[in-house]
Amino acid sequence: MIDRALIFADPVVVELIKTKTIPVAIDQWNQRRQKDSEGEFYRKIAAQGPRHDFENGTTQGLYMAAADGTFLGYTNNRSPERIKAFFDDAFKKHHPADTAKLKVETQDKRFTYQPPEGGLVVRVQTKVLSGYEEPETAFAQIFQTAVSRDNLWLTKEEHAALVTGRFPESAARRLARYHLVDNTRGEGPLWEQRDLVSQQITLDNGKITGHVELKTPNGERSYSADLLGYLKVSQGKIVELNMVARGDFFGEGQYTGGAPKGKFPLAVSFTLADGTDIADSIPPQGSRGWVADYLR
Amino acid sequence: MNKQRVTSAILAFLSVASVTAAELTEAEFQKLHAEVQQDNTALWRTVPWRTSVLDAQRAAADEQKPIFIWAMDGHPLGCT
Repeated sequence: MIDRALIFADPVVVELIKTKTIPVAIDQWNQRRQKDSEGEFYRKIAAQGPRHDFENGTTQGLYMAAADGTFLGYTNNRSPERIKAFFDDAFKKHHPADTAKLKVETQDKRFTYQPPEGGLVVRVQTKVLSGYEEPETAFAQIFQTAVSRDNLWLTKEEHAALVTGRFPESAARRLARYHLVDNTRGEGPLWEQRDLVSQQITLDNGKITGHVELKTPNGERSYSADLLGYLKVSQGKIVELNMVARGDFFGEGQYTGGAPKGKFPLAVSFTLADGTDIADSIPPQGSRGWVADYLR
Repeated sequence: MNKQRVTSAILAFLSVASVTAAELTEAEFQKLHAEVQQDNTALWRTVPWRTSVLDAQRAAADEQKPIFIWAMDGHPLGCT
């Protein structure tokens, strides 16, 4: 959120990226772990920078590298002016040269994410509706107004069930555990199965209604949400799905500090993805490293 | 008198509780679904982001440009 609001909102920075670089956006949690061609090339670059504890620490930040993996620079600064200086320095170090294209020789299946064939991808967006105190910093202001984004994957079997007018229990459970989360200020903690106190989501003549209760055993986080939505079926497929969850959320996670005090209203929107959005292709946060478990 | 006050207080509490726990109305659904959407016109979206560093490597070799990596915890095109 911070990067988008500060670095990538600067027209000069964006123009430099578009015209002078090959831009790539990754969740480095995967690349620093995956034992395959993709991971090896990423680690080759990151190992030349300041963050190279691939087992225990994040390597997040902004990198510039030549096509052969030569390191050209790293920064984790969010000031557009510092980013421009970082670019200038990297461009000076870059010497265009013929370089062999790397092939995908190995693929670590733990980190190979493909939406289920015949299934559905649903956009999930989340927002805190109110409850914040006056922000003390520009960063806090950005977080307090943020709309987060993830994707919900549904399997072929769940798609078929929805077509026949039934909201499958597996889809309801996945939706609750992995997508009714407050991830508006960073990576929000997902829910464990034990946190799912109750869930009831039903589909009747194209109308989705439901209620979900989530609460950690120690009471540090909870969410009590009502759901309402609609879907349309055409020629045996879901062609439209719009839904909203709204309720009172309580608590925060290790990376989502600064939540409103007490209970606060949180809403989550669901929209069938059509592949036109830049984020439609990203895997669900809950599927990290274990897609099969996410889809169970 | 006291009993009346207690009854009034209970009724007031139940009234507030029912508002808090009220099911979503059609109008609320429409409003929230429109409100809880990212800004599709944001500048960062105009960048042709790739999502694989190997894909980027091949393009960089083709075009003889450097690779710019936006590496985050959580996918940068998504939640963070």
